[in-house]
Amino acid sequence: MSKNVLVIGGGPAGVSAAKTLGKLGISTILVEKEQKLGGRPVLEDYHTLIPRKLKPSQVLGPVIDEVTKNPNVKVKLGTEVEACEGTPGNYKVKLSNGETVEVGAIVVATGFQHFNPRRKGELGYGLFPDVITNLELEQMFSRQGKLYRPSNGQLPKRVAFVFCVGSRDRQLGVSNVHCCRYGCALSGLQGTEIREHYPDVDVFCYYMDVRTYGTWEYPFYWAPQEKAGVRYVRGRIAEITFRPSDGRLVIKHEDTIVQRPSEVPMDLVVLVLGMEPSEGTKKVAKMLGLNQDQDSKFLIPSDNSGSNIISNKEGIFIAGACKGPIDIESSMSEGEAAAAEAIAFIGAKVSV
Amino acid sequence: MAIHERGLVEQERIIKKDRIVIDGVDASGDWNLIILPRVINDYDLNFAKDIINHPQGKTINQCYQCAYCTASCPVHNYWDEKYNPRHFIYLARLGMLDELQKRADVIWRCVSCHKCTHRCPKGVLVEEVLKVIVNQMSKRGLIEEYPSKKFDKFFTESVIEYGRIEDGELLFGWMEKQGYSVMKDPILKKPIPFAGGLPDWLKSLAIKPLKGMNIDFLILNAKHMLIHPRTQNWNRFKQVLERVIREEGIMTH
Repeated sequence: MSKNVLVIGGGPAGVSAAKTLGKLGISTILVEKEQKLGGRPVLEDYHTLIPRKLKPSQVLGPVIDEVTKNPNVKVKLGTEVEACEGTPGNYKVKLSNGETVEVGAIVVATGFQHFNPRRKGELGYGLFPDVITNLELEQMFSRQGKLYRPSNGQLPKRVAFVFCVGSRDRQLGVSNVHCCRYGCALSGLQGTEIREHYPDVDVFCYYMDVRTYGTWEYPFYWAPQEKAGVRYVRGRIAEITFRPSDGRLVIKHEDTIVQRPSEVPMDLVVLVLGMEPSEGTKKVAKMLGLNQDQDSKFLIPSDNSGSNIISNKEGIFIAGACKGPIDIESSMSEGEAAAAEAIAFIGAKVSV
Repeated sequence: MAIHERGLVEQERIIKKDRIVIDGVDASGDWNLIILPRVINDYDLNFAKDIINHPQGKTINQCYQCAYCTASCPVHNYWDEKYNPRHFIYLARLGMLDELQKRADVIWRCVSCHKCTHRCPKGVLVEEVLKVIVNQMSKRGLIEEYPSKKFDKFFTESVIEYGRIEDGELLFGWMEKQGYSVMKDPILKKPIPFAGGLPDWLKSLAIKPLKGMNIDFLILNAKHMLIHPRTQNWNRFKQVLERVIREEGIMTH
């Protein structure tokens, strides 16, 4: 049995797995498609991460550093997995750089991609510059350090968050029926950040229900509402139009509490995007023969295990957002757990 | 609009004018009827801000619309479903004044049992918040003088004057304000109980508790009616009260 471990994907789960493997003295190969480690939070410049309100550099920076410096970990950037042969314990994996590596176990951490809001034409994304995604709002904070309307560069008077864009939506087919899990909480956080820096900006969250589960209830729902004055309005936005007379956007929905249609002007509309399995996740699932959810195509753990990281293939472990929406700290924990399971599987002697 | 179709539209949305000219065209006659849309066009956030900035109203932000208050509310449960504290909070928070105004005839009906406040899982001081909502509506002239307010006003006036209320005087004084004729003695100008044009139901309503009353208490009451007692050192309190009323711009809510 080979004593090497392959980690596919260099996002939060992948780097955490590689970090733990390297720390325990296991020879590890970390394969990342992009030219940079850290995954979506780093590549797309997230501003503040839920739930601890830390920056990606604070959360992932030390882990990436450790992985890059550890001689046990070989990081292969700009590299993809092409094919996989062999049996559990002796996988022969062909990489896109022509190399073939022999590994005893594989950690799959291929992650997710953001929903493409152009698929919801009625929301006007791409048509109206002031309709942006919550990802773009994060980048506005992290890259420009200020809030503005893309159409004229001025501070909006009103910001609306449109929940569940690309989530819980059968109109997109069976693939987007799941809840994105992070959207309600992130909107609460972004709304709070806006209200803290610009107390005169009114923030509205348009929700069907607010799913700030577990201990997120207070910091990402109660506090934004009570302390920051973020307003929660019930109803799902069905249409966004442009009003030429004053250049504002008009959001249409039914206020289901008042039971009346509503067409209210807004200056900036933020679409809260759902999560989908990344192309890499779908590709790797086929290549390795991993179970996928019929509808969403996310990876699913083994039917015979209660654990979330044990896949249906012996010696292959799955961690992070390739299994469905997940927050970054859980993603990192899963990476670490998958590393430990991989070591146990190959039966390597651990040096601490 | 055909008569049978009118029932499909709320009356307050139907506007009919004798003469109407649209873009220079005389549209009087059969075309002069306008139906306003049901659409909510905007929020009046200033209304909401006035409530949030009021010391008694700031907990309005804490509401998450679970309706624990409404489910506990005796007025909602036993009197009128239009009285819905949860809904008032939602409407006030977004400043949907037209919706609040539709409920102007019930919104002041709180009996101050405080079940809502004691039970609210989010710690909203519901009863206080509702008072502020009614208060702000009054200030904006969105709510008319309602029957119970007449009594409240009389009650408050009595308290401000004497530092206490006097049951008999309150009762007869209120009857007088309601438009019933109360007979008064010529010297002290005090009401003579049960004389004058009181309706029978009011007489029997008042006689019932009197029958079971302790005779000493009855004499005490009669005495107090003749010489209204005053709370000691009331003047300073009176000044404070009057100042608060002046600053708030409203006496009762």
